[in-house]
Amino acid sequence: MPSDAAPVLDVRGLNVDYGGRAAIEDFKLTIAPGEIVGLTGDSGSGKSTLALALLGLTRGPGRISGGSVLLQGVDLLALDEASRRERRGRDIGLIVQNPRGALSPLHRVGQQIGAVYRSHQAVSGTQAASHAIDMLRSLGLNDPERRAQAYPHEISGGMAQRVLIAMALGSGPRLLVADEPTSGLDVTIQAQFLDEMWRTVRKAGSAVLLMTQDLGIIANYCDRVVVLQNGRQVEDAPTQSFYAAPRDSYSRSILALRKEDALADATPAPLLAIKDMRKTFPLRGSEKRVQAVDDVSFTIGHGETLGLVGESGSGKTTVGRCILRLVEPDTGEISFGGADVTRASPVALRALRRKLQVVFQDPFDSLDPRWTVADILAEAIDGKPGKARITELLRLVGLGPDVARAKPRALSAGSQQRVNIARAIAVEPELIVLDEPTSALTPLARIAIIRLLRDIQARLGVSYLFISHDLNTVEHMSHRVAVMYLGQIVEIGTREQIFRSPLHPYSKALLGAHLVADPSRRRVDRTDLQTLSGEIPSPIDLPRGCYLASRCPVAQPSCREQPQPLLPAPDGRFVRCTPAIASLKQSPH
Amino acid sequence: MSEVLDLNDAGAMHIAKPAPSFLFRLGSVLVALSLVLMVVGPWITPYDPNRPTFEISEPPPALSAVPGLLWKVITGAPHDPIHWFGTDSTGLDVFSRVIAAPRTDVAIAVSANIVSLMLGSLLGLLAGFARPWVAGTVMRISDLIQAFPVFITGMILVTLAGRSNTTIVLTLAFLYTPIYVRLTRAEVLSQRHRGFVDAARVLGKAESFIALRHVLPNAMAPSLIQASVTIGFAILMTAGLSFVGAGVRPPTPEWGLMIAASANELIQGEWWSSLFPGLAISLTVFGYAAFGNGLERKYAQ
Repeated sequence: MPSDAAPVLDVRGLNVDYGGRAAIEDFKLTIAPGEIVGLTGDSGSGKSTLALALLGLTRGPGRISGGSVLLQGVDLLALDEASRRERRGRDIGLIVQNPRGALSPLHRVGQQIGAVYRSHQAVSGTQAASHAIDMLRSLGLNDPERRAQAYPHEISGGMAQRVLIAMALGSGPRLLVADEPTSGLDVTIQAQFLDEMWRTVRKAGSAVLLMTQDLGIIANYCDRVVVLQNGRQVEDAPTQSFYAAPRDSYSRSILALRKEDALADATPAPLLAIKDMRKTFPLRGSEKRVQAVDDVSFTIGHGETLGLVGESGSGKTTVGRCILRLVEPDTGEISFGGADVTRASPVALRALRRKLQVVFQDPFDSLDPRWTVADILAEAIDGKPGKARITELLRLVGLGPDVARAKPRALSAGSQQRVNIARAIAVEPELIVLDEPTSALTPLARIAIIRLLRDIQARLGVSYLFISHDLNTVEHMSHRVAVMYLGQIVEIGTREQIFRSPLHPYSKALLGAHLVADPSRRRVDRTDLQTLSGEIPSPIDLPRGCYLASRCPVAQPSCREQPQPLLPAPDGRFVRCTPAIASLKQSPH
Repeated sequence: MSEVLDLNDAGAMHIAKPAPSFLFRLGSVLVALSLVLMVVGPWITPYDPNRPTFEISEPPPALSAVPGLLWKVITGAPHDPIHWFGTDSTGLDVFSRVIAAPRTDVAIAVSANIVSLMLGSLLGLLAGFARPWVAGTVMRISDLIQAFPVFITGMILVTLAGRSNTTIVLTLAFLYTPIYVRLTRAEVLSQRHRGFVDAARVLGKAESFIALRHVLPNAMAPSLIQASVTIGFAILMTAGLSFVGAGVRPPTPEWGLMIAASANELIQGEWWSSLFPGLAISLTVFGYAAFGNGLERKYAQ
């Protein structure tokens, strides 16, 4: 939304340094009213430092050593601290990561929104309280009077984010700074939050600086893109031209992944077959049990990758842990290469486990901090492996031989994850369970790990169970995809079927919330979006019929009474929704 | 609003590590000094700590005379025998006894802690890994031991078992083991769910291997930090036991005994023979506590 009006924010030659080391160098930026500017860059590129500097703040030994930050023509940096503080919160709103951590657990959310409002406007407590309720109502919360009385622990993560927007927008700021506002949120909540923010600022004509590492968010919601690299601005371009031809190497390497598509060939003969697996966990201090996995069945072929997607709490990690027998499934059969994993004796299981390996989400947590990389790899191989074998393993995962002597702490997260992968492939397994292997990594490291995993699959013919909530990486890794909701697989089919034309209402909503790094496929422009209303049912008291029925836009009365079976659709995939299959049969294409 | 929000992110990595605090350095010096004296104390005393001199109840030299005397000692000029801390009512040199005492006090405290640390860590590991009823039994026994007042239990046990250095060590070890059981178990419970433990399990490693090679070494840090503080308490307890006559036998140079022996002379104005051992106890206990506190901060970073 380009505008000829005077810019809301005009930053000129901003410099921040930490003890002589430049963290931000010569930063320039203007934001017009109603414009949303995306700021991206790898971890440590200085995004958060910049966010603080725009408010006239620094952390630790940091110091703003030059430049000016003009907010509606007034230089913030030239003001004294008292008048700067007056403008923060009134003229500049800030939204931070981790919404719950930013709210005080001891005060009602309505009070907290009101307190921010009162600190900048001369209003009474009652006025502030009614203003807080108005803000919550305008953000689409139903029953805002009751929500305002809630404490932060009583509301969901998505709602906590809305409270934060209400706090940030309470005084109608001209500029909103949002620092990774959606990291750690599930995709559907993320999309909901960003949609709301987008609508609100468009209506109010505020300027927004949105900092994120997710180029999908930028493609969907931003008018302009600024890229930071080591504190230097390497790009400032309109979104369309940025995605068409990024000029800097960082953006090019991240966007390059969009084009790779060919996966290694897989044979359909099943290596792993799971049938009717079920797992519940006892609830402490109660007779009730939490249902984590409910009647899950699937197969994985030799050299094939099955992507398992779903939001947090959908049971996808428990499925992986059951296959590895790190938790015991209650019922069901797991057969691996013809052998029954669930009934294997301890000795047989130990031998079987070596063909079944795992890479976990947190790369540092998965390596014993007291062991060197060589010790860690030697532990996997058993016996005394030669130095050559260790060097070879390190080379396979793209690490130099000198890494062998290092302890995990000395390595970057990406290198740590490579060591984890090296340990997994050291025993020459046939299947590796990848449990969110890229979620804790920076975008650059994430891409490198995905390439590495695909490369290893092509060379060693290993199969993967790829568990992730990040739909972008799943799309790049998987031959087939299974979507989980509340412990059940609701749809399983080929990558194209799931990503191009999802059938199940939940898959549709999940994929609709998927932000593609392509400004021509923006979510805000789409009209066929299917969204789910209401809250996810508790896994302790599950509904009698279909678990989605209470939120489903196409639910029929019978859905609420009868559980839906996972049935084959005409095109070969399996869907747990009879109405959806019926609609496909009516209009085959 | 920004003032109340915690903005945790990358910026933190630019912050330089803070220098070790003054208290931590002071604690380290005191701990090192106590350990050195534990080894060499009795060998470097100016007088035999167990043989009375001819001066009885001699007060320490006046503060103003100290520099002159020091100069004479350094230059080797002829001078009268000096008793830096005076002598007690039997003519024993207080300074010699104060620096000979760590051989008893610190040695007992350190050995008791080594025994209880080893026993406690293994029991804690067991309590963290074993079946619920084993863990329950270990923890309830720990509760039982900790439910009694430490000092009174110690007094009774030492008296029943006979007053010797070995029984004092074993009694203190018995009393302090539950502390380490509890600490190790808590840490084991959090460590056993870490990724590298599951990774070792997936590699087919035996549970006992995982417990001893992966979990225990990573679960020791809190116990080692606690050990420093507990050694301080153990010194206090050793001195306390001998003060009430349930500890080391006289005439062993020992701080608690020295205070007990000269407590009566305190009313007659002979303050020095109980003040200096008392100061030695306070400084040592404080040193260990400050050292432990500093270690804990370092670990928390």
